Amino acid sequence: MLATVLPITGCDLIGPAPEPTPTADPLVPFITGTLALAARYDATVDAFPELAERLEPIARAHRTHAAELNRVTATEPPSPAAPPATGPSGDLDAALDALRAVEKAGLEEAIAACLAAPDDRAALLGSIAAARATHLEMLR
Amino acid sequence: MNEQLTAALRAEYAAIFAYGVIGARLKGDSAATARAAESAHRDRRDSLTVLLSGDSARVPAAEPAYALPFPVTDRVSALRLAIEIETRTAAVWRAVLPVTTGERRRQALDGLTDCAVRAVRWRRVAGITPATVVFPGRPA
Repeated sequence: MLATVLPITGCDLIGPAPEPTPTADPLVPFITGTLALAARYDATVDAFPELAERLEPIARAHRTHAAELNRVTATEPPSPAAPPATGPSGDLDAALDALRAVEKAGLEEAIAACLAAPDDRAALLGSIAAARATHLEMLR
Repeated sequence: MNEQLTAALRAEYAAIFAYGVIGARLKGDSAATARAAESAHRDRRDSLTVLLSGDSARVPAAEPAYALPFPVTDRVSALRLAIEIETRTAAVWRAVLPVTTGERRRQALDGLTDCAVRAVRWRRVAGITPATVVFPGRPA
């Protein structure tokens, strides 16, 4: 009699178990953020073309970092790559100040990611953190 | 881990030696930048010596002299050597990242980042564009 009053709670009792939900790689948000950084540089160059020579190599570096992270994590690049960033408000100095702020936040994220990373990702994330520090140097 | 940390110490010894040669060929702001860089490398050397001693690891002594990769005869070759030294030392610190965790990885990341930023400063002084590299410390 006991068996008849117990609720059937497991699907595997009546059919195949559902596919386990794949766990997203912990670096996926970091990759998204990296592409968002590149988009901010693009938006700034659109507004101030005179900054192109200085900023375009940095935007390219962020995209190369994202591509390498996609490769290492075996994840697909998001589509579209990143929503277009809102253009900077204010003058050129204000635009550079805004870029410095987002790059600084990105540097802190990269440092945290490097320190939390398994051994086989530490060097790549360390290079990305160091690159972001050099971007800040270029924005000084 | 001690193998990589010892390699970092040897690289810092070589950097300190090189900056003695580099500083002698520079003037004004560049000479001051070289002095600051040499001081930073001395600080890293001291930290590494303390760390390795604490591990009861063998702490190698500095060599009396180091072979330079090319003759340093003027400002141009001095700047070239400064870039070379920072690039090489960045690579050595990067190699420490996968074999450390926590505070030691943080120290290695600081070492990599500082070398990368100084390399950018020297490239800018030398008029090299772009002054940044995409993956600081990664072998080409």
